[in-house]
Amino acid sequence: MNPYIGVAVLCLMAGTLFMLPLVPALVELRRKSDALPLTVVQQHTGEIRFFADGFRTYLKALGPTLQRCVQSGETAAGAMPDGTEYVVFGRGDQALLLPLKEREEGCEVMIAAGTELLLPAETTFSKDIYAAGGLIGGAKNRYRAILAEHDVHLGNGSSVMRWVHAVGNFSANPGCKLYGRISSDRIIRLSPDCSFLRLNAPRIEVGGTTDVPATPPETESLPASVATNLPRTLHDGDLEIPAGEVFHGNLVVRGRLHIGSGARICGSVKSEKSMVLQPCVSVEGSLISARNMHIGRDCRIHGPVIAEQTIHFESGTCCGTSESPTTVSAPRIEIEPGVVVLGTLWAREQGRVVAGA
Amino acid sequence: MIYVLYVIVSIICIYTVRHYWFTLNRLFGFQRHPYIDIDTADWPPVTVLVAAHNEEKVIANILSALMTVKYPEDKMLIVPVNDRSTDRTREIIDSFVERFPGRIQPFHRVTGKGGKAAALKDAMEMVGTEVILIFDADYIPGAGLIKQLVAPFFDPEVGGVMGRVVPMNCGTNLLTRLLDLERSGGYQVDQQARMNLRLVPQHGGTVAGVRLSALKEIGGWNDNTLTEDTDLTYRLLLHGWKTVYQNRSECYEEVPETWQVRIKQIMRWAKGHNQAMVAYGLHLLLGKHRASLRERIDGTLLLGVYIMAPVTMLGWILALAVFYQGVAPLHGVVAILSVTAYAAIGNLAAFFEIAAAVRLDGSRKRACLLPFLLLGFTVSIFSVTRAAFAQVKDALIGAEFHWDKTERFRKAAS
Repeated sequence: MNPYIGVAVLCLMAGTLFMLPLVPALVELRRKSDALPLTVVQQHTGEIRFFADGFRTYLKALGPTLQRCVQSGETAAGAMPDGTEYVVFGRGDQALLLPLKEREEGCEVMIAAGTELLLPAETTFSKDIYAAGGLIGGAKNRYRAILAEHDVHLGNGSSVMRWVHAVGNFSANPGCKLYGRISSDRIIRLSPDCSFLRLNAPRIEVGGTTDVPATPPETESLPASVATNLPRTLHDGDLEIPAGEVFHGNLVVRGRLHIGSGARICGSVKSEKSMVLQPCVSVEGSLISARNMHIGRDCRIHGPVIAEQTIHFESGTCCGTSESPTTVSAPRIEIEPGVVVLGTLWAREQGRVVAGA
Repeated sequence: MIYVLYVIVSIICIYTVRHYWFTLNRLFGFQRHPYIDIDTADWPPVTVLVAAHNEEKVIANILSALMTVKYPEDKMLIVPVNDRSTDRTREIIDSFVERFPGRIQPFHRVTGKGGKAAALKDAMEMVGTEVILIFDADYIPGAGLIKQLVAPFFDPEVGGVMGRVVPMNCGTNLLTRLLDLERSGGYQVDQQARMNLRLVPQHGGTVAGVRLSALKEIGGWNDNTLTEDTDLTYRLLLHGWKTVYQNRSECYEEVPETWQVRIKQIMRWAKGHNQAMVAYGLHLLLGKHRASLRERIDGTLLLGVYIMAPVTMLGWILALAVFYQGVAPLHGVVAILSVTAYAAIGNLAAFFEIAAAVRLDGSRKRACLLPFLLLGFTVSIFSVTRAAFAQVKDALIGAEFHWDKTERFRKAAS
């Protein structure tokens, strides 16, 4: 073979091999099929009521039908502009008369009621539900989403897949599984053995109302926002704050932290390892742990409570105040009956109401 | 000569392992977002500094966006830091002050030292809040961003916060598309992995926050550096403050659309980073301070990223020299295995990282552009090397540094 041809062939092959991975790149550069900026959430702020607000807007088209059914006391059925089938009840107890077949196979129509809504037990509601009044659900139901203008009460062993918003109170009987977002404009009450992910209300009560502590007097403490402003103390290694001691300022502990009974922290606290609060500890700022956190009985925490692994609350503890609601967040949260959170209670992986020791 | 080459190859291997470690952590490891769920709180007062030097094309966009964010109005003060602008920046800012009385308090700076850090330093007289957020004027914050960036400051260990930067003009040309990929890799993988692994997330100086008491403790803004953000990261670290990265706190920015502007930008970054390396590198690695061992190691490697460009080029030259001198650095199976392994895996580490970032971002087709990164890499390695040499020359002749503002490409808002 002519050596010039050989060199040319070699160069051609090398060039082809070099260009080969560039072919899809050149095609994409020319077509710009994926050249838009990545989606950044500009307007949505993660509001827990986002879906409820959207559903309320969506339901506006159903307003006249709802009014007509309430006035006549009759039931109407039809389809929304997007094709979703609905049934509108003029009387709240009409839902109890859902055909047996639908109850067994699951109710696949959107339900709206112009008044209080009573729902049968052991039924799967795979579409959203709206009640212009309150909503009382039977036991062992499965819901997709609920919006009620008054109170919502879920029966034993019910589950919610996406969200619930109650303009009034929300309460869940024992054994409920609340997988999505639960919000109320007044009070959320969870019974023992309930599980949850994200809750938000001015007041969240865990357990029976009799053992729930009153909100602590707010004049005693400084605002949680002020606690970001205090001088910081850094401590390497483990630290134990003795019972009854008062600590002024923000505290960062690079090891484990143990706060004795009745101690008062006038500032925020961070521990890079586990943190234990003995009974009746008061923290006026935030409480942060890079690992696990155990909060004893009757503690008062004013700022956000954050743990990167697990938080366990013993009964009688209160987080936040009505003037300064707060957030409690961790991948896993265990709460004994008798705990109150004013604001948001958010378990990324699982939250459970567990029996007290 | 051969031993110098061995050292260079070893350092490159360390960076290769680091790339893989970060990428695998992002793909399979535990992801830390500890403060992102704080949605209800007694929000602290905050000052938002908007650094602006001749920003008539973009300043209206960011001020409009800040007027619509969800943060208690009585707790947020916006301070546009108008640094010696000679265009319509002042006029535009003043029109916003009139439209939104009490919410914007401008700082018009007409004289003084050049550079963002110097301007921020002077603007501190306007700051009376513990939490300070900083944006460059070409950014467009979303409604929930301010709360997200403030939330980490409830942690008393946090001194600085950094959000994610997303190019909004990525579709303009090849350069913007490459920069979009680089940003993805840098934030989606690199920064978040450092956050996950409790290493040293870097303060970016924009879409960012700093705690006033921490800033005071470390001596305020350093106006003798070209990258005040890198400088801030290390001074916070050395004083026991954490910088945290919030990958979900995203904000649009504008990336350079011409190679000339890009080269100027990366040269400034390189010089600033190298300044920080000289100032803090040895003390960080071996000094007595509060950084953990893993922070010391990662922080040192992070400081070295820009000096790796001239080091790599030196490695190439040495490799050629060694080859033509007939020196065999390794023999037999070891040589074959190590060269083959590095060629197959090592060369791809940075590309793997960016590909993983693109995957995590849910994009598909833009991954096709990965081979073009070779072009971006080549331009960067020569620019950064040039910057390093220029820096050495400047140091030898005692020249003062010059701060180049990055040119904007957006059309001015009407």
